[in-house]
Amino acid sequence: MEKQNVIEVNNLKKNFRVKEKESGLKGSIKSIFKTKYQNIRAVNNISFNVKEGEMLAFIGPNGAGKSTTIKMLTGILYPDSGSIRVLNIDPTKQRKKLAYEIGTVFGQKEQLWMHLTPLDNFKFFGAIYDLSKEETDKRIKELKTLFDLDKFINTPVRNLSLGQRILCEISASLIHNPKILFLDEPTIGLDPVVKQSIRKLIRNMNKKFNTTVFLTSHDIADIEKLCKRVIIVNHGKIVVDDSMSNLKKEEGTLEEIISRIYKGEEKHHEKVLGNIQS
Amino acid sequence: MLTEVKNQLKITSLSIKYAIMREMLNKGTFIMKVIFMLLNDASFIVQWIILYSIKSDIGGYTFEQILLLWGFAAGTFGITRFLFKNAFSLSDHITNGKLDCYLVQPKNVLLSIITGESDTEALGDIIYAYILLFISGVTLGKLLLFTVLLIAGSIITINFAIILGSLSFWFGRSDYIADTGNGLITNFATYPDGIFSGIPKALMYSLVPIGFIIYIPVKLISEFNLLYTIVILTVTIITTILAFIIFYKGLKKYSSSNLMMSKI
Ligand SMILES: Nc1ncnc2c1ncn2[C@@H]1O[C@H](COP(=O)(O)OP(=O)(O)OP(=O)(O)O)[C@@H](O)[C@H]1O
Ligand SMILES: [Mg+2]
Repeated sequence: MEKQNVIEVNNLKKNFRVKEKESGLKGSIKSIFKTKYQNIRAVNNISFNVKEGEMLAFIGPNGAGKSTTIKMLTGILYPDSGSIRVLNIDPTKQRKKLAYEIGTVFGQKEQLWMHLTPLDNFKFFGAIYDLSKEETDKRIKELKTLFDLDKFINTPVRNLSLGQRILCEISASLIHNPKILFLDEPTIGLDPVVKQSIRKLIRNMNKKFNTTVFLTSHDIADIEKLCKRVIIVNHGKIVVDDSMSNLKKEEGTLEEIISRIYKGEEKHHEKVLGNIQS
Repeated sequence: MLTEVKNQLKITSLSIKYAIMREMLNKGTFIMKVIFMLLNDASFIVQWIILYSIKSDIGGYTFEQILLLWGFAAGTFGITRFLFKNAFSLSDHITNGKLDCYLVQPKNVLLSIITGESDTEALGDIIYAYILLFISGVTLGKLLLFTVLLIAGSIITINFAIILGSLSFWFGRSDYIADTGNGLITNFATYPDGIFSGIPKALMYSLVPIGFIIYIPVKLISEFNLLYTIVILTVTIITTILAFIIFYKGLKKYSSSNLMMSKI
């Protein structure tokens, strides 16, 4: 059976205009009278598709444009140009409709109410997605066993460790059983044990519900253990879009290969890019 | 459509409930804060009692009207800060990328933001507003009218704050504009409008809509007038529509941010 595209991105672009300021008091005074703007090409003409049930690593060096892309796919940012279809929904036009279908986890931003327990938070998120009380309870029970949340489900979030908190963040974003899960550096700052359990969970979820996973991470093990396909972006452009196994055929460890590509030394991308983009 | 509205209301009330719960975690300090807020408010009234013992008419206001003036000022301040505190920090939310977590939820972003925090001591201001109404002499009709006008005034105040805050979508850090504008309302609110005329007075019925929040309501309680009531309700509706339009226009310019942060 031919698998459906759940994400279709064409010629996506996003620039940020940031104020340029010279250093020191003199610079500050100057900037009052004449503001210089710098145009940052965060995402510069990106096109790709993702199929249903796929686990995609969307990686690249710091500032490559990964978060910006995710934010456009999830309806947070408006693109400057290009088109996006996520589950056949245009995030710029039907943000709420899309929100029912996707889950998002930003490792660096919290969505939970800190003073509430995870349990109350999950109930709140259940209500956000219009789940009935029974549905929410059933889902919480599933997530509780899946993530082993029992020990701290009744402790206010502010008193949890970072790892426990992230587990709860991910659980909360899964409460409505989303078809696509967007994860922006979900394992940032976590110890190896927690990282492992998060990976296991993502893999289980993908197997059980055929959830599509869109993952960014600077942790090579995350992507190696989870993803069969890799997209590498640099300076807002896609430089590699290939299967993990193809990428690994290059010389050295995955980390070495990826580093070379980040630095622009690896030629791998040129071979593959030919049949993806013109 | 109807269930959508119902679900939205459910989330909005849950959000307000949780925001209030957070502030009330410590009941002792909460009660103390409310009491101090009441005392603080009451000390201002003493000033006016002294003034009116010297003169019987200030800026065209009787003492009862001054009480109502303060009632509307405290009441709208209280309701807006108690339920929709974040409307006053919208600018900060926009410039610091704090809208992200609301944008990925299938609910109204604007409502989710403004109900995200509560200033619980503002409950003292709401209580105080009704105490003032009772002192000024109350009937059931006046009580109802006072409540309706208070709610309308609060909505107009919030709309004003949303419009000012939304400017940050276009102008970046412009929280000082919003702070000044919102401060103007609080500051003007406690003086009889008779002492203003000309341009300041015109401003109060336009750019800084204090006339609709405080002055007309005071007159309406003293002497009911259907036309003015309709004017107030119309202004409430129009500013609401305006606030939503401006916010959603601006949202297209929202640029998020990469700051590490949490929803406190
Ligand atoms: N809100 C913003 N305002 C201005 N510039 C921004 C904003 N967000 C991102 N940028 C810039 O856009 C570029 C891409 O940023 P982005 O956050 O997408 O990178 P990233 O690939 O997620 O990097 P990292 O791995 O460090 O998270 C960077 O140069 C960044 O400085
Ligand atoms: Mg990032």
